[in-house]
Amino acid sequence: MNGAPYTVLRTRGLAKQYPVAGGRRLVAVDGVDLALDAGRTLALVGESGSGKSTIARCVVRLVEPSAGEVWINGRAVHAMGRGSLPELYREAQMVFQDPNGSLNPRMTVRQVLHEPLRLHLKLDRERREARARQLVEQVGLTPAHLDRYPHELSGGQRQRIGIARALAVEPDLLILDEPTSSLDVSVRGDILALLLRLQREMRLAYLFITHDLQVVRHVADDVAVMYLGGIVESGPVAEVFARPAHPYTRALLSAAPVPEWGVTRTRLRLAGEIPSPIDPPPGCRLVGRCPLAQPGCSAARPPLVEVSPGHLSACPVTLTAGDRP
Amino acid sequence: MTVPLLRVDGLGGAFRRRDGGLTPVLHDVSFALQPGCITAVVGETGSGKSLTALTILGLQPSAFVRRSGRILFAGQDLLALPPSAMRAVRGRRISMVFQDARAALNPVFSVGAQLADVHRLQHGGSARAAWDAAVEALRRVRIPEAERRARQYPHEFSGGMAQRAMIAMAALVCTPALLILDEPTTGLDVTIQSDIMELIVELCRDRGLTACLITHDLGVVAESCEEVVVMNAGRVVETGTTEAIFTRPQQPYTRRLLAASRLDAAAA
Ligand SMILES: Nc1ncnc2c1ncn2[C@@H]1O[C@H](COP(=O)(O)OP(=O)(O)OP(=O)(O)O)[C@@H](O)[C@H]1O
Ligand SMILES: Nc1ncnc2c1ncn2[C@@H]1O[C@H](COP(=O)(O)OP(=O)(O)OP(=O)(O)O)[C@@H](O)[C@H]1O
Ligand SMILES: [Mg+2]
Ligand SMILES: [Mg+2]
Repeated sequence: MNGAPYTVLRTRGLAKQYPVAGGRRLVAVDGVDLALDAGRTLALVGESGSGKSTIARCVVRLVEPSAGEVWINGRAVHAMGRGSLPELYREAQMVFQDPNGSLNPRMTVRQVLHEPLRLHLKLDRERREARARQLVEQVGLTPAHLDRYPHELSGGQRQRIGIARALAVEPDLLILDEPTSSLDVSVRGDILALLLRLQREMRLAYLFITHDLQVVRHVADDVAVMYLGGIVESGPVAEVFARPAHPYTRALLSAAPVPEWGVTRTRLRLAGEIPSPIDPPPGCRLVGRCPLAQPGCSAARPPLVEVSPGHLSACPVTLTAGDRP
Repeated sequence: MTVPLLRVDGLGGAFRRRDGGLTPVLHDVSFALQPGCITAVVGETGSGKSLTALTILGLQPSAFVRRSGRILFAGQDLLALPPSAMRAVRGRRISMVFQDARAALNPVFSVGAQLADVHRLQHGGSARAAWDAAVEALRRVRIPEAERRARQYPHEFSGGMAQRAMIAMAALVCTPALLILDEPTTGLDVTIQSDIMELIVELCRDRGLTACLITHDLGVVAESCEEVVVMNAGRVVETGTTEAIFTRPQQPYTRRLLAASRLDAAAA
């Protein structure tokens, strides 16, 4: 593979709705377009419950999208038959948000790591074992951990087994859903360094879901900010973090605590209740909570508009006011 | 210095391996929780933070063999209590938000029903009042449309919502003297995380709650905690006020941890 840009993942109009009581619909994901090139990292951040994990699950068809397209390595994932999904898992792997629920409690770590090597890479026993040993060491554990069951590991150890399992088949696309949330800061640093090294060596593409904005700044090239099922702002990380254009992004950035003594920060607060994704009203998703809301904001959903090269925001108010920090 | 609400004193123990041998995990773990304060427990993954917390509640895994130590809670050694007395302490006097919140919820009952059940168990009253209290608790942890959400099942909640439901259960439906939170905010975006921490701070101030916060987020520690316990490899390496730990760390491990918390600086 050469160094030319090559799109590993693309979604168009991706949507997921869940039926809820009373014949209503919960809009978990509402028309999301993403593009991710080989060797790059796209961070997905945003409100809890805004649909990040749902996007991740739709991309690898663990959840069936209600509408929209998903393309991985030029293959129409949305149109694939269930029977051919195993081929997809050779190319795209996922690290789950909840490492407990995603590891079979009756399998040892060795069995967990051998399985994808046998199914997808068809390695013989000896080569599987060598690779499994290499993987546990890469994530900072030891071969002694291979004999453990998930309940015999700490939270952070389990999380690293989830990462090792996903790396096992050397996928082109790795979807990481909160992969470092249970790790102490020094192991977090080591795991991020490992991911960055593998990315350089193998041009891996990462879709990186996290609430840790420091991690975003450190590993991601681009960031997409989600609120209530939709992307409200996206662009290169340095640009979006330095000049956030959307009021939600500004509130988010101002709420991040700083790991230092005596730092006081001014938190930009959003007023009111977090709105419900059930039958959301038309217009801007933030309207009831936004300090800058105008009468026009509740009329129609504002589209993403380019505010500077590659930097998109869905807030017409900050755009016209020229109100840039 | 006031009398601590809880003192872990010389706690030590090992895991029994399947081959019958013992692997030591906790070595002389000692620290104290001052009443009305939030104490952070930080440190290496796998260093024994969750295990120590579970032992306080008498919920340690069966393979864990305790070899030494006392846990004094309001003057009583919890480790010497018979199981029935320990059950009375758990939930009522000490409650915990577990590291894996979703697994702690029962998948076959609605979230509201589980909270209401615990409410009736602890406070009695009518089913209606218990349900209202459950909904109110969900509202206070910023779950939107709490009334409707209460009727949903755990798998219909996002990761962060399940976490908030467990916080509602342990901190609001239960009204404990001591609340232990094991990584309670990892799945939450920073705006909701800040709201939750403000809620905990408020409960400490208004209700005299004592909290023990196990976390990897040193930003939350610097902002909301009064005291810090640093653990590494099954030992307490350092304890002190948050200011002392951040500005005058004594141990090399603490210094390394603080340096690693600033990713950009650590990489440079
Ligand atoms: N199986 C389901 N049935 C009904 N609703 C669901 C289901 N799965 C998810 N949802 C809803 O879809 C929305 C998006 O959930 P999702 O898990 O994608 O959020 P998230 O952005 O990953 O949040 P978090 O940061 O808290 O993990 C939420 O409102 C959630 O309650
Ligand atoms: N049932 C078990 N059998 C053997 N070892 C175990 C068992 N449960 C936990 N351990 C080990 O005990 C040590 C302490 O685990 P504990 O869960 O307390 O760590 P922790 O400090 O909470 O870590 P984390 O930050 O990753 O959650 C870990 O090294 C873990 O591997
Ligand atoms: Mg999620
Ligand atoms: Mg733990």
